[in-house]
Amino acid sequence: MLSTLHHPPRRLSRFFPANNKPRHFHTKPVLSSSQPVTDQSPSSTSPPESQILSIRHSLLSREVTATQLAETYLSRLKLAEPQLKSFIHVSNNVLKEAQSIDDKIKRNENVGPLAGVLVGVKDNICTVDMPSTAGSRVLENYRPPFDATAVKKVKEFDGIVVGKTNLDEFGMGSTTESSSFQVTANPWDISRVPGGSSGGSAAAVSARQCVVSLGSDTGGSVRQPASFCGVVGLKPTYGRVSRYGLIAYASSLDVIGCFGSSVADTGILLSAISGHDRLDATSSKQVRVLQISVSQEVPDFTSQLISAALLESKPLKGLKVGVIRETLENGVDSGVKSTVLGAVSHLEELGCTLSEVSLPSFSLGLPAYYILASSESSSNLSRYDGVRYGNQAAAEDLNALYGDSRAKGFGSEVKMRILMGTYALSAGYYDAYYKRAQQVRTLIQKSFKTALDENDILISPAAPSAAYKIGEKKNDPLAMYSGDIMTVNVNLAGLPALVLPCGFVEGGPIGLPVGLQMIGAAFDEGKLLKVGHIFEQTLQGCRFVPPLIADGIPQ
Amino acid sequence: MPTRYYYYDYDYNNRTRNCSTTTTRSSLEPPDVPRLAQTARISLTPHEVEEFAPKIRQVIDWFGQLQDVDLDSVDPALRADSETGYLREDIPKTFKNRESMIAAVPSYDEPYIKVPKVLNKE
Repeated sequence: MLSTLHHPPRRLSRFFPANNKPRHFHTKPVLSSSQPVTDQSPSSTSPPESQILSIRHSLLSREVTATQLAETYLSRLKLAEPQLKSFIHVSNNVLKEAQSIDDKIKRNENVGPLAGVLVGVKDNICTVDMPSTAGSRVLENYRPPFDATAVKKVKEFDGIVVGKTNLDEFGMGSTTESSSFQVTANPWDISRVPGGSSGGSAAAVSARQCVVSLGSDTGGSVRQPASFCGVVGLKPTYGRVSRYGLIAYASSLDVIGCFGSSVADTGILLSAISGHDRLDATSSKQVRVLQISVSQEVPDFTSQLISAALLESKPLKGLKVGVIRETLENGVDSGVKSTVLGAVSHLEELGCTLSEVSLPSFSLGLPAYYILASSESSSNLSRYDGVRYGNQAAAEDLNALYGDSRAKGFGSEVKMRILMGTYALSAGYYDAYYKRAQQVRTLIQKSFKTALDENDILISPAAPSAAYKIGEKKNDPLAMYSGDIMTVNVNLAGLPALVLPCGFVEGGPIGLPVGLQMIGAAFDEGKLLKVGHIFEQTLQGCRFVPPLIADGIPQ
Repeated sequence: MPTRYYYYDYDYNNRTRNCSTTTTRSSLEPPDVPRLAQTARISLTPHEVEEFAPKIRQVIDWFGQLQDVDLDSVDPALRADSETGYLREDIPKTFKNRESMIAAVPSYDEPYIKVPKVLNKE
């Protein structure tokens, strides 16, 4: 129930417009979707509001302290953890950091836009004061000597890092089942996977164990778990967010992405972590300003978020949306198809012009992705030799030290991908595999560019099914890889994509969420967030709060 | 000897696999898992070799579908962006948190990072 914002200081004006007009984010939906969806609870199904802005309002108006908020989240975290296992490590400093925010507020000092906001961080993102394992025994207890740039920025804006979330080892997987430590459960049905590889980050936000979280996306690892867990996930343009401190899996594909329970929160977190970083040579200096932004190079994404109450009918009139034909063909769950077609109707009601687009070479993206990803990972993971960091096996000679440390430290999926990558890069095979995969990447980039020249955004499901059962795909690599068909092409093209929950299919105690993927042109996150926010705020009859939450959403 | 490649489709509705095969003119040798493991410096157990080999072969066969695509006159793309030329000044900077880096070294004997003896490959 946020109304006016406290006047922010100038240095934070990149997040809040200088003119400080009161902004209302929570309103009643003004349009209804034609597709009937399951009403999830007897209470209201009003759209989600920004927890970050709501927390800020409550703190600055002294309604609640950061310590009280942190205690609420921590107790919910601890209550859910035995079932969910979202976290590999929980910080010991949460209450201390909350207290220092309360002290600042008491002294009427300025606090950052993420003040009091508990942030989960995927364990392949380096944090100097907590272990960073990448879900692997080879880095068990490893303490990095620096914070990742994205983490540094979260802390600079007074965010509280609540802990390190579980993942598939080194990001290789779609379920967290290949984590060396634990398997995370889906808050919608704890016998099902949360998705992966950022399964812990998605589950933690879904179960309200934290407000927002950071993940990484190499082939869909933010978007697919967002879909499976019924939360918002954003994959930024390659180069939008610094990769410094992200433990590398496939360097030409990896990005750090955001999770939130609303589009607004996801966008605010993205604003916080974006920007050129001299420590990452692939981070971009490009500015793509969609409306008048403040002085920083990164556009103020939140100024795009306009209240649903101020919207006229057809707020997205003139927006051209392309539905990717190849993503609604055979092999996609019928429940997912009909939910996404419901989202298409909703977009039409909002005024969009919808058309079907075909992306030639779409199906080649999957083998091309796996060739590139395993090849690059075989190179990136060669640094884990047991010599300078990580677990070291006892050995008589150097080769055995390498061989045994790596054999003991890596799990099976990681070993297999390294071996496949080694094969694809071997002399004589490079042209047949790696080079051809790079050529396919060119074709895919071109076909997206053509489609996005004619459309503002493209849409598809985020995954061909809803969350499946733990253990169902564990022993069948190709079956698991097939689930990435909707997401990998976006990484190959380096484009931004937003996934937001759009409906439900049957399964679990009260249904399983389904995510809609929206793909934009390079650096067009602002448009995605604007469209996503309007879609979310006008979606009737859906409440994406999993049954695991006993006490409801915090206010 | 022509090699067979499999097209693999997983149908979520029926939970079945549709495989079709096609032969190609390629003569790439199939993956030799023990040799790959040696190249990648991973000591696999015989059990692991037995477990991994068919899975790796299956995935690499699946990779083979790229052989049939006409890619003449298509440039390979290194990565997504096309921005180039971001260079910083060639001035070294000292990393401040040396103690933490050194603390992570498993076997350290100031100022040396220790490793066992190096043997020549047989």
